[in-house]
Amino acid sequence: MFSVKGFLQRNGHLKYVAPVMCLMMVLSIIPTIFLIVASFTNYQLGWDFSRAKFVGIDNYIRLFTGADTAFWHSVLISVAFMVVATAIELALGFWIATLLNNSESKLKPLAVGIMILPLAMTPSIAAQVWKLIFNSEYGLLNYILQNTFGFSVTWLGQDMAFWSILLVDLWQFTPFVALILYAGLRSMPAEPYEAAAIDGATSWQMFRFLTIPMLSKLIYLALLLRAVDALKLFDTAFVLTQGGPGNATEFLSLHVFRLANAQNGLVGRASAVAMVLLVIVMVVSRFLIKRQRRAAEVML
Amino acid sequence: MSNVTTHKKVRATGRGVLLLIFSLGFLFPFIWMLLVSLRNRVDILDPGNIFAPLTLINYETLFAAGDIFPYFINSAIIAVVNTVFSLVVGTFAAYGFARYNWKKREDRAFFILSQRFLPAMAVVIPFFLMATFVHLLDTVWLLAICYTLFNVPFTVWMMRGFIEDIPFELEEAAFVDGCNRMQTLRQVVFPLVLPGMVATAIFCIINSWNEFVFANFLSVVHAKTVPTSVMMYLSVSGVKWGEMTATGVLAAIPVLVFAVSVQKHMIRGMTFGAVKG
Repeated sequence: MFSVKGFLQRNGHLKYVAPVMCLMMVLSIIPTIFLIVASFTNYQLGWDFSRAKFVGIDNYIRLFTGADTAFWHSVLISVAFMVVATAIELALGFWIATLLNNSESKLKPLAVGIMILPLAMTPSIAAQVWKLIFNSEYGLLNYILQNTFGFSVTWLGQDMAFWSILLVDLWQFTPFVALILYAGLRSMPAEPYEAAAIDGATSWQMFRFLTIPMLSKLIYLALLLRAVDALKLFDTAFVLTQGGPGNATEFLSLHVFRLANAQNGLVGRASAVAMVLLVIVMVVSRFLIKRQRRAAEVML
Repeated sequence: MSNVTTHKKVRATGRGVLLLIFSLGFLFPFIWMLLVSLRNRVDILDPGNIFAPLTLINYETLFAAGDIFPYFINSAIIAVVNTVFSLVVGTFAAYGFARYNWKKREDRAFFILSQRFLPAMAVVIPFFLMATFVHLLDTVWLLAICYTLFNVPFTVWMMRGFIEDIPFELEEAAFVDGCNRMQTLRQVVFPLVLPGMVATAIFCIINSWNEFVFANFLSVVHAKTVPTSVMMYLSVSGVKWGEMTATGVLAAIPVLVFAVSVQKHMIRGMTFGAVKG
């Protein structure tokens, strides 16, 4: 016979884990259902809920038949940003981590401390400071360029805005990757390297066949955290360009915002775009979590 | 032989110089923020004038106007409420994950972790609609609830690592001495993980202190937090750079103090407890 008490005794973890599981369900699954429902309606901001009508998959048809070029532009630059930012941050982070690991300088703790600084700065405020640095009339970057090379750049203009946002992202998160990989490098055992050196391995071979496999767990972790956060990017771009000029830097998050904000209020359509963002993020994070778990299991 | 040592020295110097360049690059925007906050309005617009006189006028204006205080108070309330809640709920769950073994354990743990990856911009619309429904919009409580979305998964993963660091034998000894689970938790586990809890709490505070998307959308007047204050300085007459950067400096101070105090656990915090660096 089924008894609640017996069930709880056999599943001792439940009373510890259940509250969090319930909370996470309420805070993530209910809003997701809400979002799906909203994406099938024509609801607009400020409407009474009763005024909203179900429009079926109209919002999605609009997105996927190609009529909505702004949407595809957003998808494209969001994915491009994720790939480029993650790749550069990983490569540069790895390089800095090796520099730190090989350095015997007494100032190393200071360098590590400095690298925590960009991570501690509030992103929206940091972006605002960068906006001042990028300013084409009285920004520091152009001042230096003008006085040393005799030209200036419209950093937040049509052509450069994407790369300027990328630069800010690199500044803020390359140290993050570097610190994670540095911690990994530091905890690496010396024996395999000694053995490889005796067998006459080149430093590239050691890097390829020892360092990379031994660090794979951390590499995937850094990849996961950076890729997902780059896809979700909002505050930096919002403060620097608000998606502009035009829609040059309108990443998916910003596209959702532009549709749903007080001026447009197209909550139904914005929800459909938000669903696409959610699905992309879920696919990427699932894939990388799976890879990371496998890498971590191999390590054990 | 001496050739080899010179070669080594050159390489070491090269590494040092590269590290110096990178460090300066990472440090620079912060220094610039500090410098700008200490300058007059006129000098801010002339970046070449390195020796511009320093002044506290921006801070004085900021304090005299007092507009910024509610932002800081809201941020602090949200951070504290959310952190305490996340820590209590999260540590309990972490204990379950660390000390019990069941078939779906890792899947459940990763389900919780995956909440951290939810794009805020996607869930903020339903949160907005739901909050309108229950009249929670523009309150600090709503933001404190939203922030559990990333702070609870973080706490569960961090605290699981800290609890797993404690030898289970200690708990077993307590059981043998006749303690039940709750007594063991209170008298054995809790004191041992307390330093870990403090570190986790500090990371939670930093996370909520810096959050922007939820704060910007779910607050209108009453629940504005520090990160959204940047919107306040975008006045018609141009950005008030001095006051903006002064706010930035003030916002950064608590975070830096906290960051220094958890330096030992910094890597661990950044990797959800995956690296015990």
